[in-house]
Amino acid sequence: MYPKKSSTLLRDWDLWGPLVLCVSLALMLQGGSADSKEDGGPQFAEVFVIIWFGAVVITLNSKLLGGTISFFQSLCVLGYCVLPLTVAMLVCRLVLLAGSGTVSFIIRLIVVIAMFAWSTLASTAFLADSQPPHRKALVVYPIFLFYFVISWMILTFTPQ
Amino acid sequence: PGSSDDIEDVSLFDADDEVSRRSKKSKIRHPVASFFHLFFRVSAIVVYLLCELLTSSFIACMVTIILLLSCDFWAVKNVTGRLMVGLRWWNQVDDDGRSHWKFESRKVSAQGHKTSSESESRIFWLGLITCPIIWVIFAFSALFSFKVKWLAVVMMGVVLQGANLYGYIRCKVGSRKNLTSMATSYLGKQFLRQTVAKEDQTTS
Repeated sequence: MYPKKSSTLLRDWDLWGPLVLCVSLALMLQGGSADSKEDGGPQFAEVFVIIWFGAVVITLNSKLLGGTISFFQSLCVLGYCVLPLTVAMLVCRLVLLAGSGTVSFIIRLIVVIAMFAWSTLASTAFLADSQPPHRKALVVYPIFLFYFVISWMILTFTPQ
Repeated sequence: PGSSDDIEDVSLFDADDEVSRRSKKSKIRHPVASFFHLFFRVSAIVVYLLCELLTSSFIACMVTIILLLSCDFWAVKNVTGRLMVGLRWWNQVDDDGRSHWKFESRKVSAQGHKTSSESESRIFWLGLITCPIIWVIFAFSALFSFKVKWLAVVMMGVVLQGANLYGYIRCKVGSRKNLTSMATSYLGKQFLRQTVAKEDQTTS
């Protein structure tokens, strides 16, 4: 699961996986707002837009820094690397069903941190390879921020 | 004389051929593909317009529209374009990691057996051109009426359908050279045949 040889795997990119993951993550993040009048609609759109807009911005950033990876391959990688966070969301929802005390918070924190680290490392392994060495940090930081925002949304999720 | 009879026979044969070709062109050869080409696009637009009436849940509408737009994109790009008008476009990544976009159009054989029917071609291009325009209109209406939550869906509609439109127009434009050379050779043949027939009439 930890990618070692990146270039050959990336050749057959597709955006179906990222679409399914994004939609399922956005669906699972429903119902977390304090405002109960709304049906959670804007939040679905928010999560969707954050994920896709964030992925596009990271891709543009890495391309402008001179990366050799193509636009859609990068989107594909970033989308598929949302999978660990989707799993974390699922686990969080199940843990919250059991209870919402300190113990459940600690469990959720550990799970989310582990999945966040996995996502970031996995996508960095793909995307940083295509960069010259002195620019790797410039590419890694936006990816870190992107997955951090998603992890934050997952961790602060409270069901109604 | 014998030579003029031969030429008359040839032209009669051609007339028959043309009539059968004309009837073939107006038939729809792939009804299922034509149906699905229009079905996904039109139902996405219909769901967007009627979402308030169909269900009170914004999310159900949004997910439905997203799924319909994705299915439409896949169907038009991979299936209906190839079957109905003989065009296709795709992305290819080289061994050294560079990506190329390829646009292809099917070469028309000399007998004309593989020409696409006119009605299919009309359905294809009509569906392909009007739907992105409708989504652009929706985009402007969402912007100006401040219904920002729909903007994500509408942008997705514009991007996906616009991408297909752009891809197929590039396929068509790229093959224009073939079309013009075919047209000139066909017209040249017709012109030659008519002049030879006229000459024969004047001589005999």
